[in-house]
Amino acid sequence: MSSLSLTEPALPAVVARSPLQLFWRRLREDRVALGALAFIGVLVVVAAAAPLVVEVAGTPPPDAQSSEALDDFGSPTGPSAAHPFGVDELGRDVFSRVVYGARVSLEVALISTGIAVVVGTIMGMVAGFYRGWVDTVLSRLMDILLAFPILLLGIGLASACALGNGCLGGIVRPGLSTVVFVIALASWPYIARIVRGQVLSLREREFVEASRSIGASNLRIMRVDVLPNLVAPIIVYTTLIIPTNILFEAALSFLGVGVQPPTASWGQMLSEAVGIFDTAWWYMLFPGLALLFTVLAFNLVGDGLQDALNPKTGR
Amino acid sequence: MTSTILRRIPVGIGIALCAVAIAACGSDDGDDDSGGGFASGLPVEGAKKGGTLKVVSASDVDQIDPGQAYYQLTYLVTSATQTPLYAYKPEDPETPVPVLAESDPRVSPDGRTVTVKIRSGFRFSPPVDRAVTSKDVKYALTRGFFPSVANQYVQNYLGALEGTGPVVEGDTRELSGIQTPDDRTLVLRFTTDIGATAAQALVLPASAPVPEEYARRFDAKKQSDYGFNQVATGPYMIRNDAQGKAVGYQPGRRIELVRNPSWPGAESGDFRPAYVDRVDWTIGGNPTVIGRQVLNGRDMINGDTVPAPIVKQAATRSKEQITFTPLGNRFIPLNMSEPPFDDVNVRKAVAAAIDRTRLQLVRGGKLTGKVATHFLPPGSPGFEAAGGLEGSGHDFLAKPEGDMQLAAEYLRKAGFSNGRYSGPAISMVGTEDDPGSQVVLDQFRRLGFRVNYRSLSQEAMFGACAVPARKVDVCPNYGWLPDFNDGYAYLYGTFNGKAIAPQQNSNWSQLNDPRINAAMDRAARITDPEERAEAWGRIDDQITAAAAAVPTYWDDVPNVQSRNVRGVIARWNGAWDLSFTSLE
Repeated sequence: MSSLSLTEPALPAVVARSPLQLFWRRLREDRVALGALAFIGVLVVVAAAAPLVVEVAGTPPPDAQSSEALDDFGSPTGPSAAHPFGVDELGRDVFSRVVYGARVSLEVALISTGIAVVVGTIMGMVAGFYRGWVDTVLSRLMDILLAFPILLLGIGLASACALGNGCLGGIVRPGLSTVVFVIALASWPYIARIVRGQVLSLREREFVEASRSIGASNLRIMRVDVLPNLVAPIIVYTTLIIPTNILFEAALSFLGVGVQPPTASWGQMLSEAVGIFDTAWWYMLFPGLALLFTVLAFNLVGDGLQDALNPKTGR
Repeated sequence: MTSTILRRIPVGIGIALCAVAIAACGSDDGDDDSGGGFASGLPVEGAKKGGTLKVVSASDVDQIDPGQAYYQLTYLVTSATQTPLYAYKPEDPETPVPVLAESDPRVSPDGRTVTVKIRSGFRFSPPVDRAVTSKDVKYALTRGFFPSVANQYVQNYLGALEGTGPVVEGDTRELSGIQTPDDRTLVLRFTTDIGATAAQALVLPASAPVPEEYARRFDAKKQSDYGFNQVATGPYMIRNDAQGKAVGYQPGRRIELVRNPSWPGAESGDFRPAYVDRVDWTIGGNPTVIGRQVLNGRDMINGDTVPAPIVKQAATRSKEQITFTPLGNRFIPLNMSEPPFDDVNVRKAVAAAIDRTRLQLVRGGKLTGKVATHFLPPGSPGFEAAGGLEGSGHDFLAKPEGDMQLAAEYLRKAGFSNGRYSGPAISMVGTEDDPGSQVVLDQFRRLGFRVNYRSLSQEAMFGACAVPARKVDVCPNYGWLPDFNDGYAYLYGTFNGKAIAPQQNSNWSQLNDPRINAAMDRAARITDPEERAEAWGRIDDQITAAAAAVPTYWDDVPNVQSRNVRGVIARWNGAWDLSFTSLE
């Protein structure tokens, strides 16, 4: 046994930090993620306060058609003082439509992702915890849905249920609700698979064994022991799925199965801009940039959260 | 202008009146032969023979079978590959010229019999390759009534032929009302004195001969596929194999026309010169991109409607590459079979509110059409009797830019005390690439309507709006090209109660006014042209007064060509004539 030398310097005091503190410390150091987070914050505020933003900007409401902004051939005019992002082929202000389009994109992405996370977490937990035939059935269901051509399902539903009261008594018809349903249906298997994998590992841990040994029910074990340990990966994958779902909504709107005119949607604006992009470049540029930056921001935040939550990154 | 959603009824229109710049045509914005420096689209002397003409269209033909063809677009093909009894020269859409027939049809004094003499000399293309007889024309007209063919206009014009009932029911393939006493004589016998009107319908491709011994097996199927195995009698044919299969038609992708080796040419009396050796037709793509390809490329012409950005590009930078042809009308049918449009005051309110100048603008501006005040367009018989350009003074159509105040008054008369509609929501089906549909949507909402709006492809829109059981209240993008130069061809199919059909309905308003129906029946029997025009003009005014639909505008159809193309417009169709167009 060695003994301390009286000439060695004193070791610094060890400061205990909670996981949350560690998380914030790592995240604060990631300036790119912070910047992206700030952008998303601004986007949410703009989307929520869209009427105010448009009013302050002095631009017309998004559905206001105007002949004055079209030339003698009915062609839209470009960016100007009155219309900073130009107008579309009906004379509607593009800036207003981009702002209101943020609402649709965020609404659809967040709601559908929320549904997917809830459903996916429950399914994944049940499959991973109970194993056996329960796991087999749920895993095959996930496999089927992952292989299913969801985009074609969306197009099919929109076509079949386009008229009258739609299908199933009006529950299914082209619009936001169908888009949310289709995206949630496509997304939950991803979450469920990740959660299942995590639960398969967690259920063998000693704290779960300890709970089981004192007679805790399966439901209590899942809720108290397993679920809190899933929070980190769920958060990370949620932020990574959101941009995918934003693009999914844009794709469905581009194909005409999303929100119906005259509601502004970035995807729909891109679709309408295809035929006139070389004479009305603004109509494709601004909603395209909005979509690009939004998806990029969520991706960067997701990466930052993954780094901040992962204790193995060695920072 | 967005892609045309014009409902195609085979055309033979009186555009010639505009071609000679009669005042009734109004605007001097280049809607006549040479106004505004645009291409005239008239036939030229000394055109060069040879080369491959390229047609580019976003849409496919509706039916490749000439006995089923219904779209303006499809008539580019049938007018080049088939030889009906009569046809219009491209520059004269008023006067049917005998082509397969050797002379004008003879209508008996009682109007119940029409006799036509057939020329000799015409032959079917390979693999049939034999002389055409009157029996082939009889079969062509008869098969239009087969359930497996179900031509969409023969019932309208030839439904009064004796013996059509059993043929339509599928009980027989022999139409007793058509007789062929010899190989060159065709006799049509009608149950009523409709002969004068029916004779005009013989310009339609349904009268182009079809060989029964060859077509029978295709027509015997539940859905005839004769179109995919068709033979030709015109200067061109769809390229086929030795068995007759039309391999040159790939649905949704391509149509290849080659010279018909059996066509007799000018010596038969056929006036079509057929300059180019081949026609290579590509289907699919964005209409605006297609328009640019045509303007910037070589050897190309457009197949379907030219959208507004292309109209602007050509009209401002290359006038010689665009032509405008006055043809047809556009209107907004209001479904009168149920509330709220069963109320005339609600209909008049809508008509008053619609800003027709904005509709004109978003479809390309003044060059592409004139604001309509009734349904018969300039140049058609009855146009002046219906009020001409200014209309006959209905207050709800007095202001082309819309009159919201008057609209509110009419809504008050309908029981909406605050002048805004507050009834149940209505359904509206617009077309995906038609900004006009959204203009109409916006205007309905300004009146207070809650609208369940759906934006569909053209085909899906027709599928919804042409089926009364779907109960669509408003279909804002509807237009009409008539079959021949007559008020009957414009108004009967679109506004006669007897024309309402459970499928492929053309009377989208479902107007069924006994007085208007009876007036149409009387007008159909008039043989004197002036009296007939007057009668149809009055009927047009009656329909306008009923506000069954909102007349929006009278089209000046744009068509574009590459610089080295000497395109000729078939004015009866508002589209290029492949048999007359040549390459430099």
